[in-house]
Amino acid sequence: MSSFNSATASLSLQDADVAVPRSTGQPTLAARLLGAWQAAWPTLRRFLLAWPFPLAIFALWSAAAHFEWVAPQVLPSPETVFNTFGDLFNSGELRTNGVISFNRVVSGFAIGASSGLLLGVLMGLSPTFKDYVYPIFRAFAQVPSLGWLPLLMMLVGIDEALKIILVAKAALVPVALNTLKGIEGVPTRYIEVAKVYGFNQWQLLVRVVFPAAFPMIWNGVRYGLTHSWLALVAVELLASSEGLGFLIVYGRQLYQMDVVMAAVVVVGAVGFVLDKVLATIETRLLRWRHDAF
Amino acid sequence: MAHAGTLEIKDLNKQYTVKGEPLPVLENISLSIKPGEFVSIVGSSGCGKSTLLRLVIGLEEDYQGEILLDGKRIVGTSLDRGIVFQEHRLFPWLNVEQNVSVGLLNAGLSDAAKKKSVQEHIELVGLKGFETAYPYQLSGGMSQRVAIARALVNRPEVLLLDEPFGALDALTRAHLQQELQRIWEAEGITAILVTHDVEEAVYLGDRVVVMQPRPGRIKRIVDVPLARSRDRGSYAFSQIKDDVLSEFSDAPREELINPQETLGANWQFAW
Repeated sequence: MSSFNSATASLSLQDADVAVPRSTGQPTLAARLLGAWQAAWPTLRRFLLAWPFPLAIFALWSAAAHFEWVAPQVLPSPETVFNTFGDLFNSGELRTNGVISFNRVVSGFAIGASSGLLLGVLMGLSPTFKDYVYPIFRAFAQVPSLGWLPLLMMLVGIDEALKIILVAKAALVPVALNTLKGIEGVPTRYIEVAKVYGFNQWQLLVRVVFPAAFPMIWNGVRYGLTHSWLALVAVELLASSEGLGFLIVYGRQLYQMDVVMAAVVVVGAVGFVLDKVLATIETRLLRWRHDAF
Repeated sequence: MAHAGTLEIKDLNKQYTVKGEPLPVLENISLSIKPGEFVSIVGSSGCGKSTLLRLVIGLEEDYQGEILLDGKRIVGTSLDRGIVFQEHRLFPWLNVEQNVSVGLLNAGLSDAAKKKSVQEHIELVGLKGFETAYPYQLSGGMSQRVAIARALVNRPEVLLLDEPFGALDALTRAHLQQELQRIWEAEGITAILVTHDVEEAVYLGDRVVVMQPRPGRIKRIVDVPLARSRDRGSYAFSQIKDDVLSEFSDAPREELINPQETLGANWQFAW
């Protein structure tokens, strides 16, 4: 924004329709502080409002553990969980399992998202291909990832392939669907502009269709990653001997609820961070969309 | 300077098919436009004036009759015809400079020549200094200026304007009409403006084509022999404007002017 302002400052144009942000001399310090406050307030407010609810739950948990409303074997105190977390972290168990889960989700997601993108693009661009594939794709998408687990176990065993396939499937569906919707939703008015300036098919695709569909596609990618992560933890719960999901099952089997809860917190945190990374990339890539929606 | 095109429309007929029934939208349109001429087309909505423009630009096909540019029948879209739509239709992911360059993508110029032409046209529409601004940072009037620059940047022979200022406020509109006249004179280009604003049509046009709807036909062509820049307040201007406006006001029916006295018509119950 600052480069834009400096550009307008050097401009002598003062037309009725040209909205030149005029500066009225040097603003006073108070006015500037007020301006900064007004700019920062919405972000600050959102940040502040995010806290009361989790803190209340945490307080409830602490109270429940402290007064033993629930047996401590079932609901360990926050302190115990925190200590267990430290132990798991120091012993390297958390890191080993975390890295394994992370690698699985990354490779599965990469496969799933790229094939989902391809599928979505093909369906979006070719109505014939869509007619062939879309109905069966919808049917396939209606079966939750875990619904395929028994069949897949028979086919590929319970090794890495099983996890990768299920994680990939979890990413493929939202990516393909959103890519399809994004491409179908490219406004005709943009396509007409491309036609007027004699764009060929490739130029139309790269310079109009993809940029216009990109916000929607990226939405699908974000959903896809979240779903991948959820699917992975679920598969690890059911059929694995390592990974964060396995840590949860392992803790439950040994009746160590503190391990279960520490692992749950880590799973949640990783999922949150993964989505946050994509959200940050999104704001970088979609600067042009500023305030547009 | 661009070569200004001669546009010839001969016995143009166009119909859509609605529920199996043919629906005529344009009927027997014949219009000959000289190189460098500015022709305004006015009509109420539904008179087919936008369809006519879409046929000339090449976004609609399937018509009877002929549309000739410099004697050659037009086929599809081409860089020798530029258009400004009612909405600016800038790509929101490109900045001003990149949006204007869209017009030159397939122009077959060297990069340096493209850059020069883009810069010239940004200056022509008065947006120097805004090259790196994105559409969301521009007002409606500025966006429409960018759209005009994009339409002109490859120096087309004909500039088509489809209600380009319809969505702008009155002050901005009046100002951009003045600007459009300046740009048109600077480029020496043939221009066709479709509008429903009679004053705009008379202010800008060498001739004003009045169309009537269902099906779209040319009702009358009014010459505007006034020197530019025109004074909207002058007597001669208002006379021509009133003359064009009179084409839209059907003479009211006799019984509306002198209502028949019918028995009891002036009576009413008192509650």
